[in-house]
Amino acid sequence: MRRIGSFYLCCIGLSLLITVLLVFSIASLFLVPDLGDVWENLWSEEMLFSLKLSMITGVISTGLVMLMALPIGYALSRFTFPLKGFVKTILDLPVAFPELVLGLCLLLLFGNTFLGDLLKKIGLNFVFTKQGIVVAQFFTALPYASRIMKSTFDYINPRLEFVSRSLGYSQMETFLNVSLPLAKNGILASTVISFARCIGTFGTVLILAGGTYMKTEVLPMTLYLNISYGNMGMALTSGILLTVVSFVAIYFFERTEACT
Amino acid sequence: MNFFNVQDLHIKLAEFNLQGVSLSLDQGDYLTIIGPTGAGKTIFLESIVGFWHPDRGRIMLNGKDITDEPPEKRHIGIVYQDYALLPHMTVHDNIAYGLKKFRPENMDQEILEIAESLNIDHLLHRKPSTLSGGEQQRVALARVLIVKPKLILMDEPFSALDQQTRRHARILMKKAVRERSATVIHITHDLDDAWALADKLAVFNKGKLIQFGPIDTVFSRPKSKFVAEFVGAEFFDGTVTSCDDHSSRVDLGGICLTSQDRAGEGEKVGVAVRYENISVSNRRPPDDARLNVLEGVVEHIFPEGPSSIIDLKINGIKINALISNKRMNTLNIQQGESLYAMIEKEHVNIVS
Repeated sequence: MRRIGSFYLCCIGLSLLITVLLVFSIASLFLVPDLGDVWENLWSEEMLFSLKLSMITGVISTGLVMLMALPIGYALSRFTFPLKGFVKTILDLPVAFPELVLGLCLLLLFGNTFLGDLLKKIGLNFVFTKQGIVVAQFFTALPYASRIMKSTFDYINPRLEFVSRSLGYSQMETFLNVSLPLAKNGILASTVISFARCIGTFGTVLILAGGTYMKTEVLPMTLYLNISYGNMGMALTSGILLTVVSFVAIYFFERTEACT
Repeated sequence: MNFFNVQDLHIKLAEFNLQGVSLSLDQGDYLTIIGPTGAGKTIFLESIVGFWHPDRGRIMLNGKDITDEPPEKRHIGIVYQDYALLPHMTVHDNIAYGLKKFRPENMDQEILEIAESLNIDHLLHRKPSTLSGGEQQRVALARVLIVKPKLILMDEPFSALDQQTRRHARILMKKAVRERSATVIHITHDLDDAWALADKLAVFNKGKLIQFGPIDTVFSRPKSKFVAEFVGAEFFDGTVTSCDDHSSRVDLGGICLTSQDRAGEGEKVGVAVRYENISVSNRRPPDDARLNVLEGVVEHIFPEGPSSIIDLKINGIKINALISNKRMNTLNIQQGESLYAMIEKEHVNIVS
């Protein structure tokens, strides 16, 4: 029979303690508010606008993130090129960067600069607009997605690609026929995590797109604005919605990992 | 002009260098490559198929310089040690994968024919993860053979198989390759693979091609102690003390051997003798002009399956002899016992 040592008990005890604390804090979000109020707030004009805007921007940002994360993850996993280490560090930077600082950097880049003016001329204005929400979400979620994609491609035996090329397929055809289908689970996990990050992004969106009522108001912004007004019912409802989205995302992520 | 030619190939990878490899093959040749781990065998194979671009040197195939061609244009097939079957496709789709590119018409008929010839026709609907090692190896072979590549490269294709399956696989491979007159380069760690399949043998070490030639020549006349040890032969440095039109006598620094090979008196030479060409007896054999007879003591006995290696010490020089266990029992050979070792002159090979 396995001997239970004090170190074993200490580790397990700490894990259980933190889990209980988290369960209570999340449960309080569902237990504190009156469910009738939550139901009523859910159908309010502001909440429906916020939910709709969050979903639309979240889906667009996630699509763009995945479009970029696939080639970036593949390049970092498979190719050697000059400044690869530097590129990897810079791409990972937003993971450790405070969201507010990232938002500020993006505001400075897309504000009244040459690039900002150029983009405005072709109809892309990212400052205090809905387009800005997408950009803010994109830069926040991209490092997570490209990291997952890199790990996914790292796990695919490169010999499978070598064999495909020796059988007459070009690099691009091999990517589409071999690498992409084998990365299916990683792509799904990356998409789910990216979507969760996009929906939950607050600081970057606040600085770049602004927190304007019923204009650039996504779910985290609804929570923030209503807390500021003292409207706890609306704040809690948006909190519950964000928690549900995170739960669903993590559930899918865990399922995918288990399948892999 | 040879069918396949590698000239002065140099490749530098992170901590590895392939240095000045040159060899050539005729159409239908079967070359096996042997060498220790890290010798550069796989890099050499992967540079031929086009996954590594050489820093220097050329690769010619069927009269065409393919050095700068991408892998998909070279028409060279590769079978890996782990078979690299595409896990998301069935056996049928794996075999069809290359064929779709080269001859998409009548695919199913061709697939069925090759699957029947390799005895995998009952597996066509299965996924690779459900197959045994031997079955996966045959699928990988079918996938390459069906596209009729100009050159087939194999990186230890039998290493994951048990002895029994390996023997079957060798027979099947020989048959499949000979029927198609395919030119093959095959890396192996097993000398039995080389004996059973190859016409030519190349020995690699530390990124260099140490010896290359017809298999009999490399096995019987290894050019260095390293190659000799790798191919199961003894190698000694010696000096020719006398010679005539029919034989040479070489002093190995403790013992003298007579060879049928000719060499100049006073010449420094290498002498190679294969383990299995040394026989032993516990009685002095009758005088025979064809034989070298040496008396020594058994230092160690190393069992090796149906045979044993006897480590004999003769005048301070160690010689290994490969003796069948049946003969061992007949002679009742024991450690510390005196024995006579006999080597026919024709089996003492002088390597300049």
